[in-house]
Amino acid sequence: MKSRTRTKIRAGRPKRVTRADVPRSFEDNILRLIKGAPECRAIRAGEVDAVLDPVSGKAILMPAAQAEFIEHKARFRSLVDLASDGYWEQDENYRFVLHTGAAIGNERTGDAGILGKALWELSFDNGSEIDWQTHRTQLEWRAIFRDLEFSCVDSAGQLRRISISGEPIFDAETRFTGYRGITREIAAREQTTTAAPGSDGFARATLDALAAQVCVLDTQGSIVSANVAWRAFAATCGGSGPAIAENDNYLAACAGAVGNERVDAVAMAAGIRQVIAGEREMFRYERLCGTPPAARWFMATVTHLHGAGAARAIVAYEDITEIKHAERLHGLERIVARCLATADDTAAAVQAVVNAVCAAQGWDCGRYFRLDSASGVLIGGESWGLPEVAVEQFMAKSGSTVVRADAGLAGRACASGEPLWILSGAQNTRAPTALAHETGMAGTFVFPVRVAGESIGALAFNGRSVREPDERLLQAVRSIGEQLGEFLQRRQAEDGLRRSEELLRRLTELSVDWRWEQDTKFRFTQIVGNGMAGTGDMLGKTLWELPGIVLGDDQWVAHKSEISAQWSFCDFECAVALPDGQFGYYCLSGEPLYDAAGVFSGFHGTGLDITERKRAEIALQKAAAR
Amino acid sequence: MTRKKAKRPADAVVTMVVLKLYIADTAPNSARAIANLAAICKEYLGDGFELEIIDVLEYPQRALADGIIVTPSLTKLSPSPLTKIVGNLSDTRSVLHALGIT
Repeated sequence: MKSRTRTKIRAGRPKRVTRADVPRSFEDNILRLIKGAPECRAIRAGEVDAVLDPVSGKAILMPAAQAEFIEHKARFRSLVDLASDGYWEQDENYRFVLHTGAAIGNERTGDAGILGKALWELSFDNGSEIDWQTHRTQLEWRAIFRDLEFSCVDSAGQLRRISISGEPIFDAETRFTGYRGITREIAAREQTTTAAPGSDGFARATLDALAAQVCVLDTQGSIVSANVAWRAFAATCGGSGPAIAENDNYLAACAGAVGNERVDAVAMAAGIRQVIAGEREMFRYERLCGTPPAARWFMATVTHLHGAGAARAIVAYEDITEIKHAERLHGLERIVARCLATADDTAAAVQAVVNAVCAAQGWDCGRYFRLDSASGVLIGGESWGLPEVAVEQFMAKSGSTVVRADAGLAGRACASGEPLWILSGAQNTRAPTALAHETGMAGTFVFPVRVAGESIGALAFNGRSVREPDERLLQAVRSIGEQLGEFLQRRQAEDGLRRSEELLRRLTELSVDWRWEQDTKFRFTQIVGNGMAGTGDMLGKTLWELPGIVLGDDQWVAHKSEISAQWSFCDFECAVALPDGQFGYYCLSGEPLYDAAGVFSGFHGTGLDITERKRAEIALQKAAAR
Repeated sequence: MTRKKAKRPADAVVTMVVLKLYIADTAPNSARAIANLAAICKEYLGDGFELEIIDVLEYPQRALADGIIVTPSLTKLSPSPLTKIVGNLSDTRSVLHALGIT
């Protein structure tokens, strides 16, 4: 029987949330429908890929399997992109419904001129009616066709030769739904092999073979020629930098730049003008194009061109995003090393490291979790976050987090010793915090802090822009985790040593009456405690310069000889004539001091007032003599 | 996708174990189940088994007709009794038990 929960709304109080209000996950809904215990167990264990729906008669994929298929499709598309110049799909009437990459026919990439048309409706120079009829027959037979070759002249007047291959597509009911396939540019490849070195064709093919985006400017700054990489970038991106189309004026485009690109555009325009005017041979400028996360770094190089007709400058954009990324991570490693090397306070050092990692990666906040080996839990500690309301609330709510060492992302990172992450936008119902949906910081990155192969904690970061880490980032966080681990262990050892020294000093103070220090000339420089009564101010004087000390010449010579040889001395006894006519007795022990370079820097030691004991001994001796 | 694999030694005397594995294309647990089952069959059944792999994304009706609700699922049709095990077959002991080998 279902239990009902009454909901009463009271003024000033939040509405009580019932179980029915909580959105069920896909898994929960499936579990409600499935009766078999083994099936339910397998679903809970994440071992099920699909569930069969008896009503629709179809298989329903579980989210993880669905994600895998999407990734598989992306991988396939990526491989297709690598192996070909373009990808296309047609409907059951052989009309293009999807097209990416190199253009087919005279039309530009993505042009509506391709979509909705059949292949034989596009402009080709070599497509005869007989050829098309043969091709249509192939399609009617649902045959796979390979390497159909067509030629055409593109808008820039260049001869293009294209190879097209395709295969039929069928749906689940084996109904024909169209064709899909790839295109390859033949002309560009053949040019490099057929053009003679030194010819225009050879130069053009060489330029097109470059991975960098290259264009040639005339005296007015108009792009008179651009290579394939430049044209492809311009076609897909649009805007400034290497995204200005052929025949456009580069300088005019720079002048029209707005927003963040304005500064770069002005600098580029100034550099190009100088190069075109011959005031400088080369101008180099590093710039960021696009917006995160798709932003990429380019090194723009403008070179003066001598004696080439109207052409005056070559602009080349080289993608240096990977180099910048590696530099940034190298910089982060250096910052972390500096933070740890100059830190006076452990907590401040950890916080500085968290801050540095957040700043370098664009993450919103981070926290250090210390592994308490005695209780087996991870205890939330030092943290840093952006000064934003959402982030501050997030940090406040998750402030004193204590998690089991084998639970959560931080626990799993500690146990495995490897970085773990949840990407931004991942629809993961087991996100590390329930606060993620409030703040939008669905992305999480956690890596362990390790010493000698053992995890002693974890650094956990949250953000709205956590992306798939590359090998360089993983290498950097492993290095940072080890640096921080060694630092924390060193500080722990230093703290232990400091506590031990403090304890020893306290014990020493209990067993002696005063402590002293001397410089290299054996003059007292520090007295802690009462010192020797009857000798006045001891500071700045040697022991033998103190007034009232009663000691034989031989004993002074022996003592001076000992300390000159930098030997330790123990229980050196001397008497001091007190104002009341009696003697006070003191016992001194000391040892030489050396600085970090091993140079003698004086003596330090302790003093003990033994007056009472000595007087008692003297009295006993007198009584025995009587 | 249905794949059949039949291995019969020339003078087979041992009982042939007939298996059906229901999978969902190349989904992670399905791929794991195929690998796990292949390893188990190789080690414990040698040539004495016949395995049919049925992709429910292609043949959902066939799976429903066989009483399959989730994939991966493995059914042993013979020798009787008919047994069924659900999941990626990573627990070798359970699989052997279901196959009647333990």
